[in-house]
Amino acid sequence: MTDVLAKFRLVGTGGVLAYRALFNWARLPVFIGTLLAEPVTQLVFFVYLGRQLGVANDTFFIVGNAVLAASKAGVYGGTMAVGNERRFGTLGNVLLSPRSRSAVFLGRALPYAANGLFVAVFTLTVGSLLFGLDLPVQSLPGIAAALVIASLTCAFFGLTLGALGLRLLDVWLVSNIAYVLLLILTGVNVPSETLPGWVQAIGDFVPVTHAAEAARLAAAGADFETLAGPLALEAAVCVGFAVLSALLLHVFEKAGRTSGSLETI
Amino acid sequence: MVIAMTDLAIKAEGLRRTYRSRNGWLKPSWRHTEAVRGISLEIERGELFGLLGPNGAGKTTTIKMLTTLLLPTSGSARVAGFDVVQDTREVRKRVGYVFGGDRGLYDRLSGLDNLRYFAELYAVPAREQRTRIAELLELVGLTGREREKVEGYSRGMRQRLHLARGLLHRPEVLFLDEPSIGVDPVGARELRRTVADLASSGTTVLLTTHYMAEAEELCGRIAVIADGAIQQIGTAEELKHRTDGRRVLTAEVFGASEADLDRIRLLPSVHGVTVEDRGLSQIVTVQSAVGTDIEPQVREALTGIRVGRIDKREPSLEDAYIAIVTGVDRDADERTGGTAGVPG
Ligand SMILES: Nc1ncnc2c1ncn2[C@@H]1O[C@H](COP(=O)(O)OP(=O)(O)O)[C@@H](O)[C@H]1O
Ligand SMILES: [Mg+2]
Repeated sequence: MTDVLAKFRLVGTGGVLAYRALFNWARLPVFIGTLLAEPVTQLVFFVYLGRQLGVANDTFFIVGNAVLAASKAGVYGGTMAVGNERRFGTLGNVLLSPRSRSAVFLGRALPYAANGLFVAVFTLTVGSLLFGLDLPVQSLPGIAAALVIASLTCAFFGLTLGALGLRLLDVWLVSNIAYVLLLILTGVNVPSETLPGWVQAIGDFVPVTHAAEAARLAAAGADFETLAGPLALEAAVCVGFAVLSALLLHVFEKAGRTSGSLETI
Repeated sequence: MVIAMTDLAIKAEGLRRTYRSRNGWLKPSWRHTEAVRGISLEIERGELFGLLGPNGAGKTTTIKMLTTLLLPTSGSARVAGFDVVQDTREVRKRVGYVFGGDRGLYDRLSGLDNLRYFAELYAVPAREQRTRIAELLELVGLTGREREKVEGYSRGMRQRLHLARGLLHRPEVLFLDEPSIGVDPVGARELRRTVADLASSGTTVLLTTHYMAEAEELCGRIAVIADGAIQQIGTAEELKHRTDGRRVLTAEVFGASEADLDRIRLLPSVHGVTVEDRGLSQIVTVQSAVGTDIEPQVREALTGIRVGRIDKREPSLEDAYIAIVTGVDRDADERTGGTAGVPG
């Protein structure tokens, strides 16, 4: 029993401390600029672009970009949650911990998921107000579920990139590319039917794609049965990245002890 | 439940570690560095043991293996009764690791939050954390400054925070890797006092340093390590015997070259020569057999070079250390051809 409580503490209290220690954007002005203003600007841009090109209506872009807004905190935050250990030279001290690595890193991912969720809700709210989109009340639970799952997926996706950062010198390059690729692969700003088949196929395995679909269905008034499919797919991608990140962290820790390649001190 | 088989705090047998590093991508060549070449050690519980050696001797590599951060290439070690390869969790619960320098802390957090996070990581029970942290802040003299961000801490404050972090979980064995590096003399003295107190309260301490005086003041036994191997082990008094029957001459010279020094090295009664650069001048230290005055010979070897003050004295512990370490360098020079740099 106390064991379980201790684990909760490691995930909860530990996670919040790690978030403050490692997240570059935890200061208010930076947070507002990078995580609130920018996603809204992006949403506005794509709504106008969409109107010009006439590929889809406002709802398509508003809902899609709101879900995508969850990715920034997750992708970059998750990367920082591991990558910044290098910057501070703290990795050795962390690896000396006798505690469960999964709990330590789960704790690191969750605050970014919460952060991503907050950003997504903010973006959706502001976007709807700006363009006078009136979402029916019964669509909100479905949209909320999509945002929650997407935020978690993005955080674990970021953690996976961060784990790669234990090996790669420039992990920021990787997260920059990953972030931009999400714009294309998720079909948030380009209706996925118009994308080549192989791009769609990759899109099925990245965060946000299925959540965005679910959120759009919800906004269009679909019942829960219809949403369950894409939501379950997004959850599967989420679990996939959670497992992959844990695996990579484990493998790289072990490889680092063998080769002495991890900059542990 | 694993029962500790021995009462030794540290027992290492034939520890070796080779690093492989790659140069180049297209046509990679591998470089093998034998950082540790067979170290065996037995350290009793409660001992304050010094590992003394020059940069690159293999001190940090040894500590990393003993703290589970690095796997030995061969050999084995038990720390606090547990195997460092098999029982990593048990070892980690029982060791603390503090290294010098100003990295290794979360700059954006306060000192207090750094300790709170590591208290979680090092499994300090929740209800003890508050008192334990307060106690440690008091011990290292950071009480009152704990809410400031580490960003603004001085080198000495960072070092004290490192120490507090290493002690959070009351380790049985504490590893201190050059803890006084870059700390001012007053800070270094306080650090030494804290370390001595810890040892007298029963914590085993393994301290690495390249400051002879620090090792002499603190450590019961000292192992001099150079070139990846222990050259000599014993109390400071015992190590001093290395220079029995020797005298030391120091000369201030201006612009001596390696060739000039080699001429001194070749003199019959000379045991070793070292140089320390002091900007414009150099201090040359010559160890020679007692009974011959080598000053005239040294002056002759340095013909054509301006020579300042010359002093002669009895050897100190520092000289003993240098004798041990430079003795190794001679052997090592002969060996490098065989071990380093495998071209691809
Ligand atoms: N990760 C590494 N990869 C390759 N060589 C290394 C690595 N770490 C240390 N070395 C080499 O191993 C030797 C011993 O280093 P180290 O244990 O750090 O010595 P010390 O702590 O006594 O200064 C040095 O020659 C150093 O260059
Ligand atoms: Mg070292």
